Amino acid sequence: MAARKKRSIFEIVEQYFEGMEEGVERLGETLTEKPSWNCRACTMEPLHNIMIAPDEVTVTVDLPFAEEKAIQVKPIDVNTIEISAKMRRTIRFEDFGITHYRGEFQTFHCRMYIPVPVRMEKMETRFKRGMLEIRIPR
Amino acid sequence: MSGEVKIIEKERISTNAVMLFGFPDVGLVGVIAAAHLISELKLDEVAFLDSELLPPLIVLHEGLPHSSIRVFGNNEVLLAVSETPVSADVIYPIMNALIDWGKSKNVKMMISLSGIPIEQRQDAEKLEVFAAASSPEMLKMVQDKGVEVLKEGYMVGPQAIMLQRCANMGTPALTLLAQCFLNYPDPEAATEVLKGLEKVTGIKVDTSKLLEKGEEIRLRARDVMKRTQQELSKMKKAQEYDIPVYVS
Repeated sequence: MAARKKRSIFEIVEQYFEGMEEGVERLGETLTEKPSWNCRACTMEPLHNIMIAPDEVTVTVDLPFAEEKAIQVKPIDVNTIEISAKMRRTIRFEDFGITHYRGEFQTFHCRMYIPVPVRMEKMETRFKRGMLEIRIPR
Repeated sequence: MSGEVKIIEKERISTNAVMLFGFPDVGLVGVIAAAHLISELKLDEVAFLDSELLPPLIVLHEGLPHSSIRVFGNNEVLLAVSETPVSADVIYPIMNALIDWGKSKNVKMMISLSGIPIEQRQDAEKLEVFAAASSPEMLKMVQDKGVEVLKEGYMVGPQAIMLQRCANMGTPALTLLAQCFLNYPDPEAATEVLKGLEKVTGIKVDTSKLLEKGEEIRLRARDVMKRTQQELSKMKKAQEYDIPVYVS
């Protein structure tokens, strides 16, 4: 039988933190599991992402069917922005072949937390091919 | 491990077909392209994958249960498609079982359809398609047909497993990758990968509907895209951006 390799203290600490990270990740996924739509508010949550560069934060939001003139981006506080966008057409569950839910949606809505300090007053937006891009200097 | 994954055949499976793979990945390029191929070529479900390695999930269509990983086909094409992202923990046995099954059907070639993310995708006027191959002969074939080769880099996900296993088994295989969004469903990229497929295999479909329905597809695919992002992050997909150390 081969001798069992002795692990260094660094390997043990690294493994401990990896295990902890996985646990936190799983917990986060469980807590954030929710539908991407809200029937009461008639809103859908768009796909969105955030990229943090040394000099600015770029947020992108996928807004198919959104009307460019009806897109609003509002700072809620120093670290949070709220995005809402009216759609050109009403979307119903039936449009996706779903008959066990009832509801229709006219607006995209989401709030995003910016995890680094930014200068909200310098925020710039552009909308191209249904994709909203928000750039906020740090 | 492959023994834990069963491919159940529903119909007689043709031999000498081209086997395609459309699995959730960046931009959902493969899944969108696969859904379009099934619709345009009117492919029937010919087999499905059964395994306790998969999560306790079925897909309901018209009130009836279906496996989330199915094979559609006709005499010329076999198309393996997954409607949900496959977890990094089980991707090897799932892909190996599908590849071994395809090999047992004497498929003449395996091709996975996928994407390669680019920055500033919304500003890209033309999306390029790249190919990686299982052998120098396959590489020459795609180059002769006008598809650019992805020369250096890393590949992460189902297509990586497919290409490596086929290279080991001596089965001709390709991965076609269209430039795309990383985290957003990309029907335009799916259109381009289908054009690449046509160049390589002659399998032709009208892609105009894919572009016409682009916004609807993006809306419909949000939830699958979100779950795919989570799995891709576990697979360390961002490694595809890394510059490799060249070891000859």
